[in-house]
Amino acid sequence: MKIWTSEHIFSMYFSYFSHPWETVTQAVWRKYPNPHNPAVVGTDVVERQVVNGVLHTHRLISSRWGLPSWAQTILGADRVCYGYEHSEVNPEEKTMTMRTRNLTFSSTVSMDERMVYSPDPTDCEKTILRQETIITVKGVPLTSYMEDYLLNSISTNSFKGRDAMEFVISKINREVEELMSTYKRSTTEIFSHTKRSFGEITESALRSVDDISLVAMKSVDEISDAAKKSIDDLSCAAKKGIDSFTQPAGSMPRI
Amino acid sequence: MNSVGEECIELKQTYDSCFNKWFADKFLKGLAEEDKDCSNIFTAYQSCVKKALKSQNISLAEVEKDVLGTSEENQPPNSS
Repeated sequence: MKIWTSEHIFSMYFSYFSHPWETVTQAVWRKYPNPHNPAVVGTDVVERQVVNGVLHTHRLISSRWGLPSWAQTILGADRVCYGYEHSEVNPEEKTMTMRTRNLTFSSTVSMDERMVYSPDPTDCEKTILRQETIITVKGVPLTSYMEDYLLNSISTNSFKGRDAMEFVISKINREVEELMSTYKRSTTEIFSHTKRSFGEITESALRSVDDISLVAMKSVDEISDAAKKSIDDLSCAAKKGIDSFTQPAGSMPRI
Repeated sequence: MNSVGEECIELKQTYDSCFNKWFADKFLKGLAEEDKDCSNIFTAYQSCVKKALKSQNISLAEVEKDVLGTSEENQPPNSS
């Protein structure tokens, strides 16, 4: 008999915007509606306050996903789904973090997305978005078809989200009458599908610890060898120096 | 953009424009701690939203608990 606990899909994306962090954070609040995310039909601020200079916001996001029929069979008819978003904007550290989770269907499928917007450390006129999504499916076996579908959705939505942000940012830039900068489209993606397997994780962790200590030991030996050699050289040179000093260069004048 | 409660759409739009202005002109420049400019309209918009949530039976309590108590995530599960 198979007993399903839970399965997870994890994905991480980096997106780059050729716009300063201040512009990008403004665009986040003005993201909807936009032609790239037609599923989002409503956003509502349910709580907002400034605590120690950090803006905390809680929002309810309403969406109509247009579920495929197989998903409707499992989850029920396609209706408005709700997501809950908590965000913090720190204008001093220039970070904006957002965490969005679904409210609807959360007992079956849980989607947890974390995003961090921060300035590009190599170029303060650019912004980096780091986006991690974890989807957990409970009590329903995650077939490879569903997994591919979900990963594809995350991937598509990430690119759409990027397009949406660029769309809104250009609106903002037009509004303040700045010249639009062309943006480089570059995203890197990392996928991993993890089943709950503690054995695998500890094994690879132990292996890495062994590798690191082996490399560390080698370097310590090399350093002490090199150090010893330099000490020998130094003492050799020092001795030579002392000898030449103690032996008179020429005959001393008679006083 | 719609609101969860149709009756709140106008309030929402007024509040959003006020907030966007405050955010760009004051908050990001470190000029204002509290959003005093928009607090009146925000209160009106908030109460409208909370009424709409109640009438549509949307419960935020459980999710709010998770989000606000993230330190609980690190604790070991109860062995009961």
